[in-house]
Amino acid sequence: MSMNDLIATIKKVLEEVDVVLGWTRSPAAGVAVPARFHTPDEADGAIFDSTCTHNLAVHLPRLKNSKVGIVAKGCDARSIVQLIVEGEVSRDRIRVIGVPCPGVIDVKRAWRCFGFGKKIEDAGGRVHMEGRSMPREEILLHKCHQCQDQEPVIMDLAAGDVKSVTPPPPPDKTGIRERFAAMSIAERREFWREQFSRCIRCYACREACPLCFCRDACSMQTREPHWTGGQVNAIESEMAQQVRTSHLAGRCTGCEECERACPVGIPLMLLLEEQNRIVEELFAYRAGMSLEDKTPLLTYDVNRDGGWR
Amino acid sequence: MRFIAEDAIPRLLEHLAGGGRTVWAPRVARDSVNTVLFAPWIAGEPVETGAYTHLSAKATLLPPTERLFGFSYLQTAGEERIELEPEEPEENHVLFGARVCDARALAALDALFFPAGGGFNDPGYAGRRSGLTVITLACTTCDSACFCSSFGKGPAETDGSDLILYPVANGFLAEPVTDAGSELVRLDLFQDSPLDKPELAVTDRIETAGLREKFIDLFSDIDLWRQVSEKCLSCGFCAYACPACHCFNIFDEMSGDREGERCRSWDSCMFYSYTLETSGHNPRPEIAHRYRNRIGHKFSYFPANRGEILCTGCGRCIRGCPAGVDIREVIRAVQER
Amino acid sequence: MNTIPKSGINARMPLLPEKASITRVIQETPTVRTYRLVFDDPEMMAAFSFEPGQIGQMSILGAGESTFAISSPPSQKDYIQFSVMKTGVVTTAIHELSAGDRVAVRAPMGRPFPVSAWKGKDIVIAGGGIGMAPLRSLLMHLLDRRGDFGRIQAVYGARTPADLCFAGEREEWERRDDVEFIATVDSGHADWSGRVGVVPGVVESMSPPAANTVAVTCGPPVMIKYTLESLEKLGFAEDQIFTTLERRMKCGVGLCGRCNVGAKYVCTDGPVFSLRDLRALPDEL
Repeated sequence: MSMNDLIATIKKVLEEVDVVLGWTRSPAAGVAVPARFHTPDEADGAIFDSTCTHNLAVHLPRLKNSKVGIVAKGCDARSIVQLIVEGEVSRDRIRVIGVPCPGVIDVKRAWRCFGFGKKIEDAGGRVHMEGRSMPREEILLHKCHQCQDQEPVIMDLAAGDVKSVTPPPPPDKTGIRERFAAMSIAERREFWREQFSRCIRCYACREACPLCFCRDACSMQTREPHWTGGQVNAIESEMAQQVRTSHLAGRCTGCEECERACPVGIPLMLLLEEQNRIVEELFAYRAGMSLEDKTPLLTYDVNRDGGWR
Repeated sequence: MRFIAEDAIPRLLEHLAGGGRTVWAPRVARDSVNTVLFAPWIAGEPVETGAYTHLSAKATLLPPTERLFGFSYLQTAGEERIELEPEEPEENHVLFGARVCDARALAALDALFFPAGGGFNDPGYAGRRSGLTVITLACTTCDSACFCSSFGKGPAETDGSDLILYPVANGFLAEPVTDAGSELVRLDLFQDSPLDKPELAVTDRIETAGLREKFIDLFSDIDLWRQVSEKCLSCGFCAYACPACHCFNIFDEMSGDREGERCRSWDSCMFYSYTLETSGHNPRPEIAHRYRNRIGHKFSYFPANRGEILCTGCGRCIRGCPAGVDIREVIRAVQER
Repeated sequence: MNTIPKSGINARMPLLPEKASITRVIQETPTVRTYRLVFDDPEMMAAFSFEPGQIGQMSILGAGESTFAISSPPSQKDYIQFSVMKTGVVTTAIHELSAGDRVAVRAPMGRPFPVSAWKGKDIVIAGGGIGMAPLRSLLMHLLDRRGDFGRIQAVYGARTPADLCFAGEREEWERRDDVEFIATVDSGHADWSGRVGVVPGVVESMSPPAANTVAVTCGPPVMIKYTLESLEKLGFAEDQIFTTLERRMKCGVGLCGRCNVGAKYVCTDGPVFSLRDLRALPDEL
């Protein structure tokens, strides 16, 4: 895919929408940052590369009164589908521009290891930073390894050949997932207690999540219901996150935005991946795969299923 | 000047921690993707003298949650009464490894919570502040998010610090700023050194001249505020990472039926619920309104009320923003309008 | 720098409330109850002073703290009074309280009506709904010092007769001949023989001369908006009109940040603002 393909496609979509959600390059950070294109001139600044980590679907429910175009990676498209299925976004006011995604870089991790704003170069299967280089699979977001969703499940136009990409292989190095899997229940408790002792309750996890639609009435923050205490400590923060996680059962598309947004590096996806695995095992269901699907936990019918017992 | 060797730093920390004092120092949190945070130092644990922390040092003075008082409902002779137990703030903290941008923010926080000219004193803040020693690491390098050169003496600022450590080969030159700092450099962990202070970093700059009035002029330009905040997701990260943001929430939590505590916690004007009234009316319903308030408080309202800008150019809000919002771009857009 | 006149707030620990007890509960309307309370510490009670327009924070420990206008007059030394509309978590909990229940109070806060500057002037008061609470305090204070002021006219309106608070006080104000008091409702009722009409209209019909007069209004935003228009139509200048602002508050002492309108804090710079001050604020109400 060339940038010109992308820009041309955005300009074409701009003829029928008010705004296109995409990415542009940050002058300070050198990586992609979300951008809104309202005019063809603005669209000339559009880019797509492996630093386009953000899931732009999060902005769709916030733009309820506009016709919106959105540049979407395969994984982002699942969030869009789930939003449509849940009635948060109406299909006929959005235009989805699919892009071929080779997997995106964990920019936060890269910066925290090599320094903020250091140039990230993704070339020849390796990522180069600060004179060092590593195989790209070592610095991609976890979701990208063996990605099954590279071809967007919903797409009106494609910028480039979305079938041309192959999923990146798994990394050689064992990470936190393997260590976590090997922990006993007691060790996991201890692990989460330590992780959530860092949580500052900034709710970046919630705000970055396209499916956390309760936002302003979120049980992590409101007193109605008063399910979690307001104190910023490991116990309340973990409880708040467990409630958020449960509310995403059968709805989370695994986009990893919560974990990417977390400023204190809490590996939230360990919770969501496990829950997604259980949902898939119980219901043979992955959220956001089809506009005809219904989220398993939203299919309960009081008449058919016999009511509460 | 006095000099302290890098390998003498643990002994300095041990000295500082004497008498049960809490020493806050930059440390890498475990399993955290290299997140560096100020945390109470534990003997034997390494401290990060080369990295920037991802959150500011303000938790030393304004904990994310602070118990204001405990309360209990008591029954005596069939009559109910309440007891209040005000919290006594722990004193004598040391902040080791603050940056100039952290130390400088203390002036702004002091102006509100511990004003020299009287007014309301915040007992928690004042208690911790009056016993605080600040040992600052000067910056000889910076990254592309830093912009402290925009303010005052920039990386050469000494306000807020008791002692400043300048990184040189194998250690640090130590420049005392206050009596507390002078006392520390007399310790035999420090030696005299013929070295000169190293060259300090020169960071990016924003222009703050005239911003106070400019902001008021542009207050009603809602298109501008919508445009500069269009990426923003309305989370509280920028406020929580900021060394100068200080707004808080107050709430009660019960433990059981008879007792509980009144707490205050960090809060952020970026949250919808921050100004939501019980009637359902919200004076700042849009992200643009809230972001405008954030900029206004920092660069216009607080300077007008307390004479201090609520920004020290530390860049943390830029480095950590999940949406890539850069406050410098916002200020430049405002200045260019 | 913000200063707060006559503070009864614990200056050393401004967030620490005083223990208090409810002495009486009055059901004003289906959704408004008036609470009279006394500080448990008799010295605190004796020393307590405030001026009309100032506010206080009442808490039920465990449920939380909420801001209310003090609705009793400064001359009332036996109790402090808050009138509370049931709207949110804390006010719902307050509505469960009865005489003898224990609460906690921080008061007074904020700037009062500048009553001492009004000596010798005529006064017009226009209140609506629960917004009458601070004006009850003010009107009773003016009547306490009746000789200091000229003509006093007061309008108090609500949606229906059942929504009017302060029945006893209204009766007294109607009876007195040193205050021209009119209660009005937006829509009447079979057993309502009083005025029907919105507050701004009634104010206009009273046609108070603007010269040497001060007008004070408090009520729902839409009522305030039209009352200000009516007053300006009658020739009142911006510095002759006063109102009080409401904003979500927490600390009440200018620290916690949330009640600002531009650079002004409603808790310490307000809640009382002249229309001139109000118009100097950024448009963020």
